[in-house]
Amino acid sequence: MTRRTSAKLASLSLTTLTWIIVIVTVFPIFWMVFASLHTNSEIMKGITSFSLPSPQWSNYRNMWDMINFAVYFRNSLVICGLTTVFAGAFAVMAGYALARFRFAGSRTISMSIISTQMIPGIMFLFPIYLMFLWIKQALGIPMIDTYWGMILVYTAFYTPISIWIMRSFFVSIPSDLEESAVIDGCTKFQAFYKIILPLSVPGMIATGIYIFLTAWDELLFAWVLTTSSDVQTIPVGIRLFVGQYNTRYDLLMAASTVVTLPVMAVFFLTQRYFISGMTAGAVKG
Amino acid sequence: MQSETAAKRKTRGFAYFQKGFRTHRFAYALIVPTLLFMLLVHFLPMAQGIIMSTLKLNQFTLARYLHAPFIGLDNYKSLLFDGSNPVRQGMGFAVRNTVIYTIVVTFLVLAWGLAVAMLMNRPFPGRGIARTAMLLPWVVPSYVVGVLWGFMWQQDGIINYLLVDVLHLMGEKPFWLIGHNTIWAIIIPTIWRGWPFLMIVFLAALQTIPEDIYEAARIDGAHKLRQFVHITLPLLKPVFAVQLLFQFINNVYSYNIVSTMFGNGAGYPGEWGDLLMTALTRQSFGYWAFGSGSAASFLLMVVMLVFVGIWYRMFRSELNAQ
Repeated sequence: MTRRTSAKLASLSLTTLTWIIVIVTVFPIFWMVFASLHTNSEIMKGITSFSLPSPQWSNYRNMWDMINFAVYFRNSLVICGLTTVFAGAFAVMAGYALARFRFAGSRTISMSIISTQMIPGIMFLFPIYLMFLWIKQALGIPMIDTYWGMILVYTAFYTPISIWIMRSFFVSIPSDLEESAVIDGCTKFQAFYKIILPLSVPGMIATGIYIFLTAWDELLFAWVLTTSSDVQTIPVGIRLFVGQYNTRYDLLMAASTVVTLPVMAVFFLTQRYFISGMTAGAVKG
Repeated sequence: MQSETAAKRKTRGFAYFQKGFRTHRFAYALIVPTLLFMLLVHFLPMAQGIIMSTLKLNQFTLARYLHAPFIGLDNYKSLLFDGSNPVRQGMGFAVRNTVIYTIVVTFLVLAWGLAVAMLMNRPFPGRGIARTAMLLPWVVPSYVVGVLWGFMWQQDGIINYLLVDVLHLMGEKPFWLIGHNTIWAIIIPTIWRGWPFLMIVFLAALQTIPEDIYEAARIDGAHKLRQFVHITLPLLKPVFAVQLLFQFINNVYSYNIVSTMFGNGAGYPGEWGDLLMTALTRQSFGYWAFGSGSAASFLLMVVMLVFVGIWYRMFRSELNAQ
C-alpha cells in the first residue's frame, strides 16, 4: 500500500517536473508575443505585470508599414519555395539510386555527399561572392541580387543533406516491392515511378519541409549576396530592422512574432510527417 | 607480353565497367544529374577558394579575380605569424569563445535532450501536448532567437527581473550583453533552441528499445541506474555518435544568433560574444581581405577534418554495426 502511494507520488512529481520544463521552455515565445502588444514606453520602464489592459495591435501595423515586410515575405517564399523544389528533386533521384543500387562508385558518392556537411559555409562564401561578381563582369549575367543566384546557392547547400534524408526513407521501404513489380513486367523506371514514389510521399514532405525551414533560416549568404530589397529575404530584413530601430523593442517583437508564425503554422500542419521523418533520418543515420 | 596482359586487363576492366553500366543504367541516370550539379556548385567554389588563398586579393586586385598576383603561402604565413593581418584582429577572442561555446552547447544539448527524453518516455496525461510545446523553440528562426534573447537579456529586462526581483538569486541586476557575461548570453539561447530536437531524436530512439530487456534486467535485480548505464546508454550510442557530430559542426559554424543579438547590423559583439564565423566575415569583408579570409577558411576546414577523423575512430564500431 505504502509502496503504491510512494510510486504514485514519484510519478506525480516527475509529471510536475515535466510541466515545469514545458513552461520554462515556452516562456520566451510567450514573452515575445506579450511584449509585442505593449507600447515602447511600457517596455522601456520594464514590464513587470502579466496583465494586459490595452493590447497595442497597432505595433503590427506600424511595423508592417515601416519596413517593406510584404516584399521580404515574397522574396523568402519564392527563394525558399523554388529551392525546396530543386533540392527535393535531386534528393529523390539520388537518394533512390544510393538506397537501392550498389554500382561502381556508390560508396564513394555516399561518403562524399555526407562529408560536404563538414565544409564551412564560409569556404564557399568568398569564392561564390567573387565568382558572382566575375560572371556579371565577364558574361554580363547578373548573379548578385537575383532570385536565381540565391536559389542556386541554396539548392547547392541543401541538396546533400536532403539526399541523406531521402535515402534513409527509401531504405526503409522493402525492396521486394520493386522486385515483384519487375517480375510482373515493369521496367525499373516504372517500378520506381509507379510503386516507390507514391509510397515515399511522407518522406518527400518531411524532406521538403526540412529544406524549406533551413532555407528560411539562412542569413549569412543572403546578407552578402543580396543588396536590394527586391530580393532580400526575411532574415536580412530583420537584421536591417535591428540595426535601424534597435531601441524599438515593441516593433522588433512584433516583427519577430510575424516571421515566426508561418513557420509554426507549417510545423503544426505537418507535424506528423515531419517528426517521423526527421527522427527516422536521425535515428538510422 | 607485359603490354599484352595490361591490354587484356584493360579490356576486361572496360567490359566489367560496361556490364556494370548496363545493369545499373537506371541508377546512373538517376545519380548523374545530381553529381554534375554537386561538382559544379561544391567542387568548383572549393577549388577556387583554395586557389584564392594563394593570391594577393584586396580592394585593388579584386577586379582581376583569379589573375590577382600569386603569393604562394604568404596568406597562411601572415595569418599565423603577422599581427598586423586584419583577419587576425580579435581572432584570438573569437577562437577562444568558439571553443567554449561549442563544448558547452554540444555537451548540454545532448545531456539535457537525453534527460528530458527519459522524462517523456513514460505515460502521463497531456504527453502529446507537452512534446509539441517543448519542440516550439526549435521552430523559432535562429535570427529571431538572437533578437528575442537580446531583448530579454536587457539590464532592466525580464530575465534580470525574474532573477533579482522574483527569485532573489542575485543582489543586483547584471549586464548580460557587455563583458564576460556575454558568452552565457549566446550559449543559453543556443541551448534553448537546440535541445528540443535532441529530445525528440532520443525519445524516438528510446522507444525502439524493447521493454523485455528492462524486464529481464529487473528480474536479475538491476536497479534503475544500472539499467540506464548498461542498457540504455550502450543502445543509444550510435544515435548519440551521429548527433554529437552534427551538433559539433553546427556549433563551430554558428552565426545567426550572435549576428542578430548584437544590434546595429554588423556590430561587434565584444570580446566575449564574438565567434569564428562572425569574426571571419566581419574582418574579411570589412578589409576586403579575401585572400587571408580564404586561407583562414581552408585552415578551419582542415582542423574540422581532423576532428571528424578523431570522431570516426572513436565511434567506428558503433557506426559500422548499424
